Amino acid sequence: MKTTTTASTHTEPWDVIIIGGGATGAGTARDCARRGLKTLMLERHDIATGATGRNHGLLHSGSRYAVTDRESAEECIKENMILKKIARHCVEKTDGLFLTLPEDDLSYQSKFIESCQAAGINVQAIDPKEALLREPSANPTIIGAVLVPDGTVDPFRLTLSNILDAKEHGAEILTYHEVLGLIKEQNRIIGVKIYDHVNKEEKDIYGNIIVNASGIWGQKIAEYADLKIKMFPAKGSLLIFGHRVNQMVLNRCRKPADADILVPGDTICLIGTTSTHVPFEEVDQMYVNPEEVDILLREGEKLSPSLVNTRILRGYAGVRPLVASDDDPSGRNVSRGIVLLDHEIRDGLEGFITITGGKLMTYRLMAEWATDLICKKLNNTTRCTTAEVNLPGSRLTKEEVNKKIISVPSSIRESAIYRMGDKAENLSCNTDIENSLVCECEEVSAGEVEYAFKELHVNNLIDLRRRTRVGMGTCQGELCACRAAGLMNQYSNLPANKCKESLSVFLNERWKGIRPIAWGDTLRESEFTSWIYEGVCGLNLSEEQLKNTKK
Amino acid sequence: MNLLVNKSENNFEQCIKCTICTVYCPVSKVNPEYPGPKQSGPDGERLRLKNPDFYDESLKYCINCKRCEVACPSNVKIGDIIQMARIKYSQKKPTLRDTILAHTDFMGTLATPFAPVVNAITSAKPVKKILDPLLQIDKRRNLPKYSFGTFRNWYKKIAEQQKTFAEQVSYFHGCYVNYNNPQLGKDLIKIMNSLNIGVQLLEKERCCGIALISNGFIDKAAKNAKLDEQEIRKSVLEKKLPVLTTSSSCTFTIRDEHPHLLGIDNREVRDEIELATRYIYRLLSTNQSNIPEFNNGKLKIAYHTPCHMEKLGWSYYSIELLKLIPKVEVTVLDSNCCGIAGTFGFKKENHETSKKIGESLFKQIEEGGFDLVSSDCETCKWQIEMFTSKKCEHPLSILAKVLA
Amino acid sequence: MTFDTVIIGGGLSGLISGIRLLQNKKKCAIISSGQSALHFFSGSFDLLNFLPNGEKVAYPQKEINKLIKNFPEHPYTKLGENEFNKLTEQAEQLLKQVGLHVQGSSEKNHFRITPLGELKPTWLTMPQFAITHNDSLLPWKKVCLINIKGFLDFHPEFVSEAFKAKGVKTEIQFFDLPELDRIRKNPSEFRSTNLSIILDKESSREKMIEDFSVFSKNSDALILPDCWGHKNSSLLSDVMKEIGKPIFLLPTFPPSLIGVYTQQFLKDCFTKLGGTYMLGDSVTEANIKNNRVTEVFTKNHGNIPFKADNVILSSGSFFSQGIIADMNKVYEPVFSLDTDFLEKRSDWYNRNLFENQKYQQFGVKTDNNFRGLKNGKPIDNLFVTGAILNGFNPIKEGCGAGVSILTALYVANQILIKEQTYESAGQ
Repeated sequence: MKTTTTASTHTEPWDVIIIGGGATGAGTARDCARRGLKTLMLERHDIATGATGRNHGLLHSGSRYAVTDRESAEECIKENMILKKIARHCVEKTDGLFLTLPEDDLSYQSKFIESCQAAGINVQAIDPKEALLREPSANPTIIGAVLVPDGTVDPFRLTLSNILDAKEHGAEILTYHEVLGLIKEQNRIIGVKIYDHVNKEEKDIYGNIIVNASGIWGQKIAEYADLKIKMFPAKGSLLIFGHRVNQMVLNRCRKPADADILVPGDTICLIGTTSTHVPFEEVDQMYVNPEEVDILLREGEKLSPSLVNTRILRGYAGVRPLVASDDDPSGRNVSRGIVLLDHEIRDGLEGFITITGGKLMTYRLMAEWATDLICKKLNNTTRCTTAEVNLPGSRLTKEEVNKKIISVPSSIRESAIYRMGDKAENLSCNTDIENSLVCECEEVSAGEVEYAFKELHVNNLIDLRRRTRVGMGTCQGELCACRAAGLMNQYSNLPANKCKESLSVFLNERWKGIRPIAWGDTLRESEFTSWIYEGVCGLNLSEEQLKNTKK
Repeated sequence: MNLLVNKSENNFEQCIKCTICTVYCPVSKVNPEYPGPKQSGPDGERLRLKNPDFYDESLKYCINCKRCEVACPSNVKIGDIIQMARIKYSQKKPTLRDTILAHTDFMGTLATPFAPVVNAITSAKPVKKILDPLLQIDKRRNLPKYSFGTFRNWYKKIAEQQKTFAEQVSYFHGCYVNYNNPQLGKDLIKIMNSLNIGVQLLEKERCCGIALISNGFIDKAAKNAKLDEQEIRKSVLEKKLPVLTTSSSCTFTIRDEHPHLLGIDNREVRDEIELATRYIYRLLSTNQSNIPEFNNGKLKIAYHTPCHMEKLGWSYYSIELLKLIPKVEVTVLDSNCCGIAGTFGFKKENHETSKKIGESLFKQIEEGGFDLVSSDCETCKWQIEMFTSKKCEHPLSILAKVLA
Repeated sequence: MTFDTVIIGGGLSGLISGIRLLQNKKKCAIISSGQSALHFFSGSFDLLNFLPNGEKVAYPQKEINKLIKNFPEHPYTKLGENEFNKLTEQAEQLLKQVGLHVQGSSEKNHFRITPLGELKPTWLTMPQFAITHNDSLLPWKKVCLINIKGFLDFHPEFVSEAFKAKGVKTEIQFFDLPELDRIRKNPSEFRSTNLSIILDKESSREKMIEDFSVFSKNSDALILPDCWGHKNSSLLSDVMKEIGKPIFLLPTFPPSLIGVYTQQFLKDCFTKLGGTYMLGDSVTEANIKNNRVTEVFTKNHGNIPFKADNVILSSGSFFSQGIIADMNKVYEPVFSLDTDFLEKRSDWYNRNLFENQKYQQFGVKTDNNFRGLKNGKPIDNLFVTGAILNGFNPIKEGCGAGVSILTALYVANQILIKEQTYESAGQ
């Protein structure tokens, strides 16, 4: 498999080694590769598994930050416009509404509008009645509404597109490669010690510049160089609903608080978030608790009353990679601005930089800043093109792609183009067998699964889900996981028992998100899933997996 | 506690993907073009809410038999979701053929005065050959016969006499009794009169709209439904007379399709619209002395449960009434769709599918050695009589014949 | 509508008690809200594979006392050792009587083969399905695993690898018919139920014999996914005769054909014995007077109630909505019977999906005669059977089918005895 090729074939040191496969790492890899640098990106899990894949998927217009953080707001609106162009297959231009409820202070609205305008965000107060016509699911009791240019963005697709572009420009991407240490020579970092989880081996890799783009885990990476970066881990929990209730992003027009954004995304919508400070030691183990579920439901209902009757698919939690600047216990007043640390200047350690803070919206700008600094250090004068050139997937229009794969059954074609943009032309779709459905909720075909296994760095079924949405639908893998496991055996060259293991891990991962909301029909479905997999099929965790979970 | 708490418009989310509905879909079994009830219903609905472009014209193959709903262990209104999607999203315009098939009452009004001529023409081979390419009505199909003069016209003669009974009910006869088979209406009146009950008609009556709905004439169907609703309200709320029916499909349409597809609020009167067999069963079971005398039947009858009867769950009443006939032997056939599905089976493109759907039913009928088939649905009757060697009669017609 | 017994729930448990009562000339009706969990049947009925503490059970009859001694809440404990053994025999007889021929006995568990190639202990298995009597040994040296080309709900590779680990050689082959291309055209409909319609046609016989003879050349047996032989019961045995090798089936992903077949078979037994089966109807309300259920109202029948001397509630677990969980409680929706569940929702689950999930033991409380408790007091004529009961974990203990069948028979026997007593008292 492509992903198991290791860096050992390169005896020459890399120009840049990027640690972290979130949006920032992928964006930096893209930018570096486009500027002609020999680039390696390392990720200890799969791409977009940290904060990148655990947020709202909101394409911020910046208005949310306008009142409190004008600089972030300005960055957001600029990046918003860039992403709408370069990543259009990852983005939906839904627009958004900031709603004032009877319990909210209406005077905040004028302050909000003023601040937005000052930051260059085109917002407009509209009559609540008109707002309800535009978005019938919004709470009918609203007393104020402001139209903003919010949208939605799929972070998995966005990260993947950056990686595909980086690869097109010669970068190497290694997932499931964990950094265990930094190699230091005098006052310079010259490489990394890594552990290859696929081939189960340790090795050293050398590079001229090492970029720490590992989000909240950046604190630990810095510690390998005996440096201190104090992160402020703020846990945010979200709930995913079973279908798309709203077509526009709904926000509460008040100071940011719990559960005040409802974002539509693909087939679903989601409400978030809560915010709690958590100890750094817990950042790898985030569980949504019942109290958070209560808060999210209670507040969510205020944005859109129909959420009460809408099935919840799962809950999940992420950790915001905030850099601590004061000791505010909620973490809300920590700056969300971009933090770029040149450790040569900050700590007298050469060859090592950290890019952190910021947010999904500004990943490209963060990458640009980091790459500018890298280029300066390497005396590379090529200019940044990432804001101008469309990402792979966004290069053709929907109609153009549609024509290329017109033989594919319509619902599969519709879904595939939505997910992959012009990359949909690469999916195997020549036979009826390739066109048969693996995931019936999300219309993922066997051909799309094949393409993902062969071309998109898929090591297991969870990775496959991030590329294709297999198992993200209402059944959460109940019907499709086993089909996907069978195809995995066919397309990945992994032996059947590894695929079986991947299947149980996948189902367990789905269960993690289902558990906080497992009542009603969701519990019925969970019982059904257990009957099928544990009862009929006799599936269990392997002995090795059991040992690991006991740990 | 009530199991049937209305979970509002998001009923499709109760689907837990068990896929049982696809097992019992008569169309999935024979027509691979149809994506099946799970995919067309709850799965598709979720995608259509994301983007209406996910609407697939192949939903037209659904025959609205509701067998998916009967099978569903999650109370998902799969058939309703599919019907609603067709109404909301279909771009296809009805053809002339569909227009003719859908307007059962209009065609009936035109045809009944000239019934002998019309029947002769529509059963003539050359005419069927013309209808086939011209209108895409399959030439192998026997077309329904029209009666010479309508039921309503006949009724006028006995209207005064019916008023003499102390107890009264209203009768929604439907297009079939009015234009094709007034005898069934007469049979109902005979039986009701034997129970000392007079039968009145609604002042006006429009087609229930089942054929209009399935052929895409929603506005017209809604207009009809509104008028019918007014008449039914008059009968139930003002005159305090329940509304009896003899067609399981009309009954199902008025009670259950009008509210959710056409937006008619019938909550106040819904429980007072029922099949005559159910009304009679209740009457007889609460007062045994009421049971009329029947002559010996000496018949082997096979009862076929029409799809909408299966959905209503009321075949029990018809079967129990048939069992009242002395020496009769009633066999309940396996509940399977006969394949006609209203106007569906008449269309040229559906002829083969229609026949295939009914195959196991036809086989059971032919092999059972029955004298007669009985069913509460007029279109099932047409289908059974066309594809088997047996006659098919309404339970009330059978009862009326043996009434002492 | 008046019956001797009204049964709420038309799955395995409801049908078994209904058949038993009808065999004794009682007038019965079943009210079934949609099709049952039998549709995911593995082809085997489990009786008892493990004790609740995880201890393995190989000889259910002999070892049942261990369960009875230590687990007072378990439905089998309420039956007691003698009754348990008597009922298992009665169950085996009843299935034989109605024509459901199964292999196995309650004296010793045998092993079925799962679609992933695992061996799972079980009580009774349908005759066409692959079994072994020894969990470390399979009865073949080499088998040929056959899948249908493009069928995604069965993956012979999993079975193959598991078999190899047990020293059995395997070969994987694919079967295809030109007619199958018609279903392939529709991306979602290549399912076992649709496949079986084509595979069971007489026209496939010739190709089967031709292909299977080649496939079986070097093998002792052929193993296929459960997509054959339900509509056309002689097809598989005829092909076996022709090729001279045995053919076995394995269950597939839902819906399971053997499940559909078993449900229909038992339902047909019930209606042929004169039972009334109301499908797609659900109970909305029940009247209880003088501690007896007097009338049951349903969605379809509205103001015409079901009346009966006895009512059996066999409405299943969460899946069939016999019990319903909301955010903080588990309730029984028809009679509001007492339910057994843990107060704190977070205690209902285990973090590992494959560990013991407590919610699976939740259910309705009954007295030792399986009469439903309401406010702590049993209702005289309301019996509760099957998956809706509390105190057992059908998956972990491998006792779901056993509990459904045994409690159903027990309750039917109780009703028959009670009536005999009334009758003799009346004389």
